[in-house]
Amino acid sequence: MRLIKTATLAAGLALCGGSLHAQEGIDDPTRAPYYESFTGKKVAYVPVAMGFDLTEGWAAGLKEALEPLGVTFDIRDPNWSTDAGAQAITTLIAEKPDVIVVHNPDVQSYARLLKKAEEAGIYVVQVNMRSSYSTDVFVGADYVGMGQQIGERLVEVCSPAKGGSGKIAITQGVLTAAASIYQMQGINNVLSKHPEIQLVSNQAADWDATKAKNIAATVIQQHPDLCAITGFWDVMDVGTAAAIKESGKNVYLLTQGGGNRMVCDGLENGTYSESVVYFVPGQARDMATMIKQLLQLKQPAGTTKTTLFTPLTFLRKDNMTAASCWDMPTKG
Amino acid sequence: MAVSDQIVRWRYRLVPDHLLGEILTKRWVDNAIPVLILIVVAAVFGWLIPDFFSAAGISSLMRQWGEFTLIVLALMIVMVAGGIDLSIGSTFALGNIVALTLIAVAGWSVPAVIAATLACGALVGLVNGVLVGYLRLRAFLTTLVTLIIVRAVVDMMLLKYSVAIAAGFVDSDLWYYFGEGDVLGVPFSVATALVLALVAHLVLSRSRAGWHVLAVGGSRRSAHNVGIPVRRVICLTYVVSGTLAALAGVLFASRLGGAGADTGVGLEIAALTAAVLGGNSLGGGRGSAAKAIIGAIIVMIMVNGLVRIGVTRGGSSLLLGMVLLAAVAIDVRWLKNRHKFLSKVYVSPTYSELPAAPATSGASPYALNDRLRPVEAIGLGQIDGPEDVILDEDDHIYVGNRTGDIVRFLAPDYTQQELFVHVGGRPLGMAFAKDGSLLVCIGGMGLYSIGRDRSIRKLTDETNRSWFSIIDDSRLRLADDLDIAADGRVFFSEATVRYEMHEWPVDCLESRGNGRIICYDPNSGTTRTVVKNLLFPNGICMMHDGQSFLFAETWACRVSRYWFDGPKKGTVEVVIGDLPGYPDNINRASDGTYWLALVGIRTPSLDLALKMPGFRRRMARRIAPDEWLYPNINTGCVVRFDETGRIIEALWDFGGENHPMITSMREHKGHLYIGGILNNRVGRLKLDGMDPAWSGIDSYWRRI
Repeated sequence: MRLIKTATLAAGLALCGGSLHAQEGIDDPTRAPYYESFTGKKVAYVPVAMGFDLTEGWAAGLKEALEPLGVTFDIRDPNWSTDAGAQAITTLIAEKPDVIVVHNPDVQSYARLLKKAEEAGIYVVQVNMRSSYSTDVFVGADYVGMGQQIGERLVEVCSPAKGGSGKIAITQGVLTAAASIYQMQGINNVLSKHPEIQLVSNQAADWDATKAKNIAATVIQQHPDLCAITGFWDVMDVGTAAAIKESGKNVYLLTQGGGNRMVCDGLENGTYSESVVYFVPGQARDMATMIKQLLQLKQPAGTTKTTLFTPLTFLRKDNMTAASCWDMPTKG
Repeated sequence: MAVSDQIVRWRYRLVPDHLLGEILTKRWVDNAIPVLILIVVAAVFGWLIPDFFSAAGISSLMRQWGEFTLIVLALMIVMVAGGIDLSIGSTFALGNIVALTLIAVAGWSVPAVIAATLACGALVGLVNGVLVGYLRLRAFLTTLVTLIIVRAVVDMMLLKYSVAIAAGFVDSDLWYYFGEGDVLGVPFSVATALVLALVAHLVLSRSRAGWHVLAVGGSRRSAHNVGIPVRRVICLTYVVSGTLAALAGVLFASRLGGAGADTGVGLEIAALTAAVLGGNSLGGGRGSAAKAIIGAIIVMIMVNGLVRIGVTRGGSSLLLGMVLLAAVAIDVRWLKNRHKFLSKVYVSPTYSELPAAPATSGASPYALNDRLRPVEAIGLGQIDGPEDVILDEDDHIYVGNRTGDIVRFLAPDYTQQELFVHVGGRPLGMAFAKDGSLLVCIGGMGLYSIGRDRSIRKLTDETNRSWFSIIDDSRLRLADDLDIAADGRVFFSEATVRYEMHEWPVDCLESRGNGRIICYDPNSGTTRTVVKNLLFPNGICMMHDGQSFLFAETWACRVSRYWFDGPKKGTVEVVIGDLPGYPDNINRASDGTYWLALVGIRTPSLDLALKMPGFRRRMARRIAPDEWLYPNINTGCVVRFDETGRIIEALWDFGGENHPMITSMREHKGHLYIGGILNNRVGRLKLDGMDPAWSGIDSYWRRI
């Protein structure tokens, strides 16, 4: 009897199978439009150059986030040439991708081109180093704020009140790059209030480790009692660190960068004393998120201006953990 | 004819081997390799990048191309004068920063900014120019040093002004027009570059200053020797170069407005690659605006294409460097080997089979004899190469010589000679016109008329150009012999269009129909080619019917008849098809027959070689010209034939003891006057049984 009951139930279930399945769940109404809004879209990426942690990290993050959605991700590498970059953007304006992600070599050169790109209906996302023209999205460090924090940190480390010599040096990147120009503003804001801190050198190494090394070596010779050097990029400051090491002096090196594993290693082995980190994978995710939003909202380019400042971490040997730095995803 | 001979004959008839050599003689072949590279580069990137050559893709490239072309033009001008300017990249950056500083920081007006910036560039050029031109330092090292110094100046200015420039705002539509505006639909920079390229082209090709630049680049010493102010010319090329580089900098400043430290870094390499790739020689003396433009396009396509393909980490610089290396190698090898290669491939023999040569012994009408033994020598040792001989009404003898004179031996004893006229060139065939003026075919010059008053007048030196001829066949290279029709039309032969006067025997090695017969009509002043593809057409002689003439084709060993009027107009008929030697001039005889000079007698070896074009080509390529197998042009004879082609008699000088080397003969009042292009005399032979009163002039113009 029991068997018959079960069999009847099973048969009944089998008969009504179709309708029962439908009642197991409902289709998410945003799902189809979500995927639709990405299929066949094109994102083009114009960094200042490929081949280092920041640009490779952003590229990897964007690729990971966008390509599974059917978005074509295209890299145009001007290899440190502003002109080649301008050419790439000009070409892109003609090609009309849906989004251009730009990493500006300086605040001026691409400004008018970015405006034109927006006018042509292309969303423009600027990463880390912005142009003087604000586009749909900027993702990156708040360089003025970062400069202020760095200034305060330098005062803290070198203040004669705490036994420092008060002499500091700054090694900028390209003078007109956003990272240099806004950060100097922040640092100056602080230093102007601290006359006891003496800025003995403020030069541009154009993101070049060799130039940075030469600058640091000269400054240390001129000022053997130099307290600290702050450089505007960790890759460039490999040179600064080498100069400090060669001099044998104890100079505090405060650098900054994307928080790649190299920085943690550098802090560990004493290459750098401290590093201000804007977390690159986080920036990549922010950009991907903003791109997804832009593509779904479908508003004309330039309608909204969003700024997402990346949270900053001051990493030292004593406060870093294994998770503080990120690793470049292995290719292929 | 054997099957293998047939195959060889068709092989050489169908494949135009001679075109390769002719193409290589062209000046534009210098541009052929760059254009080829351009096509390859365009094809490769067009294939790799789907919409690379879409209108939008091209227009986006144009603006940068304009600036880049200015830089390449700047470098080209210096290179043409034999120098090199590595400082253009830095000068470009200087132009950029100076313009930006003046407009954004100092707030100058746009015209003042441009003037000042160009002056800055000119100043850098002047420094280079003084150092290289006047102080004669090495261009490479000097401009390398200025590259560094100017770059340092740029860096100092950047340090001082770049932040101010970045912060400043330029409120001038005119200023942005340079970087963003269009002229008639093309970007301003492109319009500027094209206009300046045109100016550069006109200056280099059409003006005294441009010729000076080319001369200095071609050979500094020779330029100095002819009085060109070499130092000043060199100095000025650098000034022009600096100014153009600064102009490109202004356009760049207006377009991007960015005071970046990387502006113009490595630009000199890209520009150098473009200039050399375009075919501007590093050694100087060879270059043009067109070459600069082609090179600039190639490099622009490559750089942009590589960025668009997504080549990363210096891949494009690497490729550019390798291309430069290859371009320099091609440039050097090309310059060095072009002439060598040309001389090897220019001679391109083809298949030619002559009919069996008739015997010159026994019962043959050509049988050897000693009838030229009694020839008297006129002007022995005093005349160099009288190709043709002619006598006027007063019995004076006229002959041309190797040094471009027409010499007159005075009747009656011909011991006295005088220079009739100096015409230059190489006087060959002659004929008296109805008005008594002497018409002469001058090798290397054309057809000339010399009046009784010794006035020289050019009748023609060009004919209509063939549509599909690669070499310019409108010019007359080797006008050979002429005759005049009753209505005054002059028919003259041009033996070959592929060789100059002094190389005429080489044409035999080819035995292609390189020659032609041309008609000059004095009534309309026109010159037209009437018969083409003849094997070294040589002597021409009007026939008595007034509608046709006889002409000899030397390398074909035949005499043919051409009708220029009447029912058979335009047809050619062979009169004698199998001469034992190489026919030269033909002239009328007093009894209505014709005299024919055989310049040399055929040899079985050359006859065989003519059927073996491969053999002759190997010979021409592998051994020195002195060792080549040439036709025999030393021993010949005079024959007389009638209009059916029957040989009446042959006059030989057996053994060549008395009068060897015959190219022409002229009957005049019972005597035969004999000329030879390599001879040192005019021969005179008393003719038995010929009309002692007959003369050529009477025969032509008095209708006796």
